[in-house]
Amino acid sequence: MPKYELVLLKNMAQPGYTGSLEAYRQAGGYAALEKVLKERTPADIIEEVKKSGLRGRGGAGFPTGLKWSFIPKDHKGLKYLCCNADESEPGTYKDRQLIERDPHQMLEGLAICCYAIGAERAYIYIRGEFDLGAEVLENAIQEAYRANLFGKDLFGSGVNVDVSVHRGAGAYICGEETALLESIEGKRGKPRIKPPFPAIHGLYQEPTVINNVETLANLPHIINRGAEWFASIGIGKSTGTRVFSVSGHVKRPGNYEVPMGVTLREMIYDIAGGMRGDKPLKAFIPGGASAPMMKPEHLDIPLDFESIKEAGSMLGSGGITVMEEETCIVWAAMNLMEFFHHESCGQCTPCREGSGWVLQILHRIEQGHGREGDIEQLENLCRRIEGKTVCAFGEAEVGPILSSIKHFRAEYEQHIREKCCPFHPNATLSMVH
Amino acid sequence: MSSRITLKINDQEVTVEKGTRVIEAAKLAGAEIAHFCYHPKLKPDANCRMCLVEIEKMPKLQTSCSTEVSEGMVVQTASEKVLDAQKGVMAFLLGNHPLDCPECDQGGECQLQDFAHQYGAMTSPFGETKRTFEKTYFGPLIEKEMNRCVSCLRCVRYCDEVIGSNALGSMNRGSMHEVGAFAQQELDCEFCGGCIQICPVGALTSRVSMFDYRTWQLKKTETVCNYCGDGCTLTLETVDEDIKRVSSETGVGRNGGDLCARGFFGYGAVNHESRLTRPRIRLNNNDLEVTWEWAYQTVTDGLKAAIQTHGPKAVGGIISAQCTNEEIYLFQKLMRESVGTPHIDSGARFGYINAIAALTDVFGTARLSRYEDISEADCLLVFAGDMTETNPITALKVKDAIRNHKTKLFTVAPYHRKRETYISHLPHLATQHTEISMGSENAAILGFTKAILEGTPSPHTPSDLFEKIKFAVNGISFDQIESATGVSEQAFKDIGAGFANAERGLIIVGRSILRGIEGYQSMLRLAELSILSGQVGRPGTGILALAKESNAFGAVEMGGTPEFLPGFQSLKKEERGYTALEMIDAAARGEIKALYLVGENPLRSLPQKRVAEALKQLDFLICQDLYPTETTALAHVVLPGASYAEKSGRFTNHEGETQKIREAIDPLGNAKPDWQIFSTLINKMKTTEKVPYQKLLGYASVDAVWKEAVMAMPQGWPVLLGSKMQESLAAYAARANVTWLAPEPFVKNGAFDLQVGQSLFHSGKMSTYATGLTTLQDKMMVLMHPEDAERLEIEEEELVQISVEGSDAVIELPVKYSKKLSEGTLFISEHFALEIKKMLPFTTDSTTGVPYGDRGRVSLAKVRVST
Repeated sequence: MPKYELVLLKNMAQPGYTGSLEAYRQAGGYAALEKVLKERTPADIIEEVKKSGLRGRGGAGFPTGLKWSFIPKDHKGLKYLCCNADESEPGTYKDRQLIERDPHQMLEGLAICCYAIGAERAYIYIRGEFDLGAEVLENAIQEAYRANLFGKDLFGSGVNVDVSVHRGAGAYICGEETALLESIEGKRGKPRIKPPFPAIHGLYQEPTVINNVETLANLPHIINRGAEWFASIGIGKSTGTRVFSVSGHVKRPGNYEVPMGVTLREMIYDIAGGMRGDKPLKAFIPGGASAPMMKPEHLDIPLDFESIKEAGSMLGSGGITVMEEETCIVWAAMNLMEFFHHESCGQCTPCREGSGWVLQILHRIEQGHGREGDIEQLENLCRRIEGKTVCAFGEAEVGPILSSIKHFRAEYEQHIREKCCPFHPNATLSMVH
Repeated sequence: MSSRITLKINDQEVTVEKGTRVIEAAKLAGAEIAHFCYHPKLKPDANCRMCLVEIEKMPKLQTSCSTEVSEGMVVQTASEKVLDAQKGVMAFLLGNHPLDCPECDQGGECQLQDFAHQYGAMTSPFGETKRTFEKTYFGPLIEKEMNRCVSCLRCVRYCDEVIGSNALGSMNRGSMHEVGAFAQQELDCEFCGGCIQICPVGALTSRVSMFDYRTWQLKKTETVCNYCGDGCTLTLETVDEDIKRVSSETGVGRNGGDLCARGFFGYGAVNHESRLTRPRIRLNNNDLEVTWEWAYQTVTDGLKAAIQTHGPKAVGGIISAQCTNEEIYLFQKLMRESVGTPHIDSGARFGYINAIAALTDVFGTARLSRYEDISEADCLLVFAGDMTETNPITALKVKDAIRNHKTKLFTVAPYHRKRETYISHLPHLATQHTEISMGSENAAILGFTKAILEGTPSPHTPSDLFEKIKFAVNGISFDQIESATGVSEQAFKDIGAGFANAERGLIIVGRSILRGIEGYQSMLRLAELSILSGQVGRPGTGILALAKESNAFGAVEMGGTPEFLPGFQSLKKEERGYTALEMIDAAARGEIKALYLVGENPLRSLPQKRVAEALKQLDFLICQDLYPTETTALAHVVLPGASYAEKSGRFTNHEGETQKIREAIDPLGNAKPDWQIFSTLINKMKTTEKVPYQKLLGYASVDAVWKEAVMAMPQGWPVLLGSKMQESLAAYAARANVTWLAPEPFVKNGAFDLQVGQSLFHSGKMSTYATGLTTLQDKMMVLMHPEDAERLEIEEEELVQISVEGSDAVIELPVKYSKKLSEGTLFISEHFALEIKKMLPFTTDSTTGVPYGDRGRVSLAKVRVST
């Protein structure tokens, strides 16, 4: 039995739960949608969600109710909801499970959100590699349409909600909400300059809300059990549960739903079963690849937005990557940078040019060709990327580099001094570009 | 609420319009902010991150190109933080940039070079392997050197936001990002050269002028293009007496700095090796190169001999509408005053006279609409489906209106809507496109007239005119109109109502009507349509007739046609001389004995056999031209004139806008500006003494000629549509003879309907001397719909035989597929199409004598390869 009450993963934890519409309805599904359509006004729902303290589960942790309230009330044209299911952050795989195993939970949340913000059209932008997820969602949507849970006049309320699945084509940047909008519009996925924000000029320049899968999946529960109940879970301004994806050198990697605010120590040593081979912990990333690395000294920090931020990292997408003692930090940083360099969209100068430059230096250091001044150069380059880019990708890509230098400078120095990687003495790497 | 905003930039207060970007406000405050992706023509993209500035109360640096000013904003453009960020961006941009400035055509006018000089460090911290791309080409004219690219996307955005072509896009990601044509295909676009011009660095350069100059050697002369009637300002850039390239300045001229392929790549015609550079005379069947003195003497002797023997009316003159106002004025003066003949005509005869004559008849002036009216209009009714090809920049104004002013566009043309390649096609962009049968433009005008008449005609229509139109239209049914046009009553009614009920509606008319059968009458009917719709006499309304030649409007205004003296003084029928074709026929009859042709080649532009017979009868033929032609080969005297690049003067474009052209280079060889030739001849005709021509005191400058020309216009200059419109309209309404005949049904009989027309890449014959343009198109092709081709099992590039009923001549041409053509129609561009024009039926306008021979029914068959 799990230590904490499951909310989002509850249904799928039941033996034999298929995720079909029938199964979901038997578990009480779509009652929340019916309730809001019949009894609650959109303004009511927004208020309720605000009261619950629900914050975006995609990475930024923006208060969901507040985001919704930015949608102009008197807008005459169309409004849109886009569900961000482009889960591509390395080490994060929670949305995938929520989609594949219990699709109706997020679909119900999506319908509730549409009603709350007055959107009749919703898109689910799903990561291109999620073949199964897309198929499951398509099937679930068809089931729901047949049961008139989507389409016209839901529950006789006169409310219409249409939803369709839009599959990505393999670009990480399309998880950035405005790049996602561009991609749905059929254009090259690259972030837009902000302002204007999507709430005013979003998809096809109409007011648009973009919410993460897990965020939407929480909505039926908030409606069913009330904002107070939701707010009672977690600590401080981080309410509710959170599904964390634990990966790396632990005994039991996987998705774990826990109340916000459990400590990293509990997460790694208790819930995920401890370090693999009981080796000492060296470092961990608390919130997906773009979150700065942390050290064992941070183990007692609670997993909530504020505490992690205060400690110099971020809760991000909830992907916890654990590294044991024998992990080469330069290699780890390089590995992450390879990802970011590959995924940089190329739109703005600092990220486009900087990511390759940083990666080349990391390659050299890891291969034993480091030079004096490389570490300072890395810091300098990162400083010139950070805060100067079109989107948050700039901050994301420098996070692992700057934090690894901050916490493990000596290891970088050792690579340069000894002209070889202490962990991979024979490393040969391919050319960057 | 005030629309002015006051902010502080570097401690200096500045007040600007609301909506101004910080980068623009800073410029006003005297602080130029370094930038690459920003361009005043484009929407902000904020991708280069060079223009970051510090704004009080904002935690991060902001891109000044995308940030709008707000009241009380405090901006620092040169603080330590800002300079550091700029240095950082420079370091990033220079990191992978090659050190090839010495051989880069952009060197000396490169933004990267300039800003590196200003902001860059002396040394680079970049110590890694550089990223390299192979050099590639965007088709035949544009070189792409991605190593130099700063990925600012100005080219891509210009192609999308301004030209609307979308031929360019981004490929690949991150540091391997490249600009290019879709899927690396060869570029198949309008070749406007805008991407080359807007590139801040040397990533996109012209292959036509590759390595021909260093930018600081270039002498720049702002002038007006001579390839069509759009009247675009461009800058000829020269080294010594050679045009090396063309550029245009953002926002300058009627074109606002945008050009087309002809304007940007067509300059090569000027310095072409085949130019005529010395006067020649034919003496006892010998072709002699002579001095100007000799040539002038021969011309005056020849003209005087003709006058003496046969009287002044035995002399005729035809001048090209690509000559300047001053030249046309002087030529008509030479003909009318020095010689004393009324027989003077110009290139305006080849269609444009239909517009000028009809509009002047109705409204008292042909200056009805300007480009500003296109953007002010709510609705455009366009009878020019090929406007991108004939008048690319006017088409650009239309595209701009649709895109940025929410203007509705109704197109009427014998084309499909479908666009192919990346060349804009107005029917494709239209709110509603009416596809008519080929040659049924007139019936379509009738359809709209009837629809508006039965709908909501303007109450301001003069009642007598209204009754006349009603009477004329009466008895013709929509069924009859549909059988001719293929367009339903409902479509006419929808579009008619859309146009008539628009707040401001403008008609644009192109060669399909001006050079269609009975174009003069069609223009009168269109004028009546605009009156009936109430769409004339206000901003955003009127009729804009598209001119093919750069000075077609001016040619008529300067008196270069038999029906008008300078200033559109209409001559009575009996005072009028012959039109171009009438002169040819008069020569054939032996009535005209001496003919003076300036830049005109009737053997090409009029029925060849008829002209050849006539020219043989002449005693004296003078040809003044830029290039040797079929006609100069027959001339007794050949005078080398100067191209637009070698002289000063004025062109009047089809808006009626008169603009100066300026001499960029000296006339080639011994060629002379045409106005100087006429000036000398006018003086020489006066005197019987043998005085060296240099001693004859001619006009001091073109300005002196212009002054005289304006003085010769009793109504003053220019005549605009003003208070006189009502008067003119009333007079027209009273005398108008509105006739509508029931249109002939359009019957398909399995034959093809062929249209000869203009290509985007050529204009007349001159453009075929420009390598830049011949690289894009150097031969005659017949365009046909792929479905027709498939039916006849004809592959692309395959040769077909085209023949016309009643003629045994057959021509063979390669086929090119075109999805924008209607099935059953063919298109051949005229620039290489001498043979085909000989075969097509030829008629002339019953009023204006405009020659028509662009259309015909033809048979097409595969060329059978004998085995």
